[in-house]
Amino acid sequence: MYRYDEFDADMVSSRVAQFRTQVERRLKGELTEAEFRPLRLMNGLYLQLHAYMLRVAVPYGTLNSKQMRMLAHLADKYDRGYGHITTRQNIQYNWPELTDVPDMLDDLASVEMHAIQTSGNCIRNVTSDPFAGAIADEIEDPRPTCEILRQWSTLHPEFSFLPRKFKIAVTASEKDRALIRAHDIGIEIIKNDVGEIGYRILVGGGLGRTPIIGQILREFLPRIELLPYLEATLRVYNRYGRRDNKYKARIKILVQETGIEKFREQVEAEYAELVPLDIAVSPDEVARITEYFSPPKFKKLKSEEVSTDNPAFARWLKHNVLPHKVEGYAIVNISLKPKERAPGDVTSEQMRITADLADKYSFSEIRTTHQQNLVLPHVEMGELENLFNALTAAKMGEANIGLITDIICCPGMDFCALATARSIPISQAIAERFWDAERQSMIGEMQIKISGCINACGHHHVGHIGILGLEKAGVEFYQVKIGGDPSENAAIGQVTGPGFSDFELIDGIERMVDHYISIREGEERFIDTVRRVGVAPFKEVLYVEA
Amino acid sequence: MSTLKHKGKGPQSLTANTLRDGLNVWLTPEFEWSMDFGAALKTEDADIIEKMNTIGERDELSNLVVGVYFIDIEKETGLPVRYREKFRVKGPSYDTADLVPLDIQKV
Repeated sequence: MYRYDEFDADMVSSRVAQFRTQVERRLKGELTEAEFRPLRLMNGLYLQLHAYMLRVAVPYGTLNSKQMRMLAHLADKYDRGYGHITTRQNIQYNWPELTDVPDMLDDLASVEMHAIQTSGNCIRNVTSDPFAGAIADEIEDPRPTCEILRQWSTLHPEFSFLPRKFKIAVTASEKDRALIRAHDIGIEIIKNDVGEIGYRILVGGGLGRTPIIGQILREFLPRIELLPYLEATLRVYNRYGRRDNKYKARIKILVQETGIEKFREQVEAEYAELVPLDIAVSPDEVARITEYFSPPKFKKLKSEEVSTDNPAFARWLKHNVLPHKVEGYAIVNISLKPKERAPGDVTSEQMRITADLADKYSFSEIRTTHQQNLVLPHVEMGELENLFNALTAAKMGEANIGLITDIICCPGMDFCALATARSIPISQAIAERFWDAERQSMIGEMQIKISGCINACGHHHVGHIGILGLEKAGVEFYQVKIGGDPSENAAIGQVTGPGFSDFELIDGIERMVDHYISIREGEERFIDTVRRVGVAPFKEVLYVEA
Repeated sequence: MSTLKHKGKGPQSLTANTLRDGLNVWLTPEFEWSMDFGAALKTEDADIIEKMNTIGERDELSNLVVGVYFIDIEKETGLPVRYREKFRVKGPSYDTADLVPLDIQKV
């Protein structure tokens, strides 16, 4: 993975020193809260419903074991012994004190991590495929492209005060595991007709209160043109994006109001004005950065069929383990969705165990996923059972990846200052209802996503079943969407109608699931059946007792 | 929810977050800040509300607290009117910290 050079290290440590001084000045009263707030947000520090919250960047979801141990150290020393993996592959701490945050940032800098650009109207942490560098279907490892974008966008003077936040995701497979169509800019690494590798650029996707699927801005962008072209796109957004209304300030609104054709013309016109390839990354530099992501020294192994009489291990193999591009290895998903826990929460003890297991079985590499799970990307197939046993002992052996209890869920009203209703108890109630392992397997792939407000951090718009928590007159209620899809066939779900109380909701979901089971054909997933028969039959059973 | 320039109806309390640790606090009848909502001053008296306003502004300026604002209080229950404010009083209904041994938690 990428290692800081002298410039990176200097930049991050000087940033920490600046923030330490800013905190001191705030405590002395030399800075007002109005002056300090943008400074703390630029360093990932929010003031939430009950306390401060520090969001730490995990660039494109890649961590090593040393960094994971430091995250555990932060959880214990400065917080309450756990962290929360977010839908942008970052990690949040819910209870830090302001006075400790400079020390936390210092500790993070010692392992080449930071919290810069995890908030504010700038280009946020770039996200990517959590299986990058390991999955067979990728055209190339997308992380060098992510790293180039990280270096370009970090503290970019022109793009530090955009109309709104700006999110970029990169993938290198046709199968979209990074939700690129719901990003301000989505980048798909592709090959053209003559075999050259370049980029398909999508623009104007996003969730939030106005969910929109991104549209193609450039069908094929030669590799060397990536940064100049993005620079032109961001310039158009910076110039024309609305600043009068924060709810209409994202690029998706600009693209929608301008129209994709005219927006493209504006970008191309701006691009034509740029000094040709002035900021393009040379092939030598691309090669230098790519070198950081060289594959580990895999053994020459033969692919083996892992057989077992242990049904729990068999289920875990089926749902959590994926083929690796190197023979004899596998990609292992670690579920952070046990029944009783908030989705994505991981204790410091589990972080340390994950780090140890990464050292032992996965060349010290760990990934975070936007599904709020972890990944060990390079595991020898012959070690899978040992790994499963170790994970099970650490209460991380749940075999539910991609199933109905693998729920994306924002912190909701339990922690978030913007939330209108709780989301964690809803995810726990769904997990409780559907926990039986055989039943989960029988239902098959299902993506339930829960947001505690219309800002949609829980991605409910693209859930096969999406749930939005609202509140009226002191009572929480939940709206349901059906038919959303976060994949390469991205779709926004349809609202079914009036909301439900929490207990009505769980019964309604069960009725929809049972209906799906009763009418599915062949290997149809829930979303396939919804596409075939439409939303109406599901709506009918959802409201049957309402 | 009222703003610091009080526009609420019925009994009022004054709330904020402490600057240093960010935790929720409410102004007490002694015009001090408490993390216990049970100790909060709840009043409809316009003069006292004016004084609460002054104290809030003073303590924000002196960097004890941030984000000071008035909240409406239910006469019958003594609890905040708004759902969000009820949550600030009760704390999270779920916290993974409850599963972590206390001896390794900072707070």
